[in-house]
Amino acid sequence: MNFEEFQNCARLYVIGALEPEELQDFESARKQYGTAAEDFINQCYGLHEAFALSLKPAKASDAIKERLMAMVRQRSQNQSGSTPA
Amino acid sequence: MSSAVDPKRQTAPGSDLEVETSEKPFPSAVELKPGGPSDLDLMLRIQSGDADAFSQIYDRYNGIVKALILRIIHNETEADDLLQEVFMEIWKQAKNFSAQKGKPLGWMVTLARRRAIDALRKKQAYARAEERFQAEPEQQPFAWVQNVTEKEIEAGDTRVLMAKVINSLPEAQQQVIELAFFQGMSQREIALHTNIPLGTVKTRLELGLKKIYDGLKELKDEL
Repeated sequence: MNFEEFQNCARLYVIGALEPEELQDFESARKQYGTAAEDFINQCYGLHEAFALSLKPAKASDAIKERLMAMVRQRSQNQSGSTPA
Repeated sequence: MSSAVDPKRQTAPGSDLEVETSEKPFPSAVELKPGGPSDLDLMLRIQSGDADAFSQIYDRYNGIVKALILRIIHNETEADDLLQEVFMEIWKQAKNFSAQKGKPLGWMVTLARRRAIDALRKKQAYARAEERFQAEPEQQPFAWVQNVTEKEIEAGDTRVLMAKVINSLPEAQQQVIELAFFQGMSQREIALHTNIPLGTVKTRLELGLKKIYDGLKELKDEL
């Protein structure tokens, strides 16, 4: 697999669209190209962000944040409470 | 021609191609208040258990994350439930975030998409979701940008620019990307769903994703 083919596969890989039979060749090429491959894959994850940002933000219920913050604070208290002095 | 080496580029081993290794992969997601903490600052604080940082990152991105979830599962109540689960997971899994592997929003969106697609499959609601999708053309991710004015584009709104890049793709490429990204379909599933040959699906996906990737890199340079 040359590097251009690897790049094409990497874009499919990050959105989970590589077929199982393509995965083995992709992983071999990934090892072959080393750091350059990992850098490129990391950049490809920016595609996720791009798709999300292409959508109009949606309004979430205010109650969600209240519930989340209550859970987060509860967990924080539990963790600090269970830590030995 | 200059022979100077651009430090932001490196040559892939065994290849004549150069790879961008810029530290700024894509444009900033949202406008930050002057002096406000960056996403990375907030994420590092969340990793150390700072609830206030978590509150800020929720305020900053709940709308984007919910839009993504809603786009996948097409149900307002379920989207709210999943949004809560996703942000709880963000809090619990924050220690697994690595700045070396990408930006906080990319990590959160990847997590949200995975959860939403899992939920969609678990409920075996594919058919129902598709029906809703058909009934809600205004929710199509790429269509709305057609109403964007030149003034808005000039204003440099990142969301508008991102959508413009995606919307510039041929419809056939948008269709396969839509099914792959927002419905979580494999190439084979897309081929079956659309009656398009598998090889054509692969080509359209590869071309479409490359155009989006290249378009976003251009945006990065402009912003």
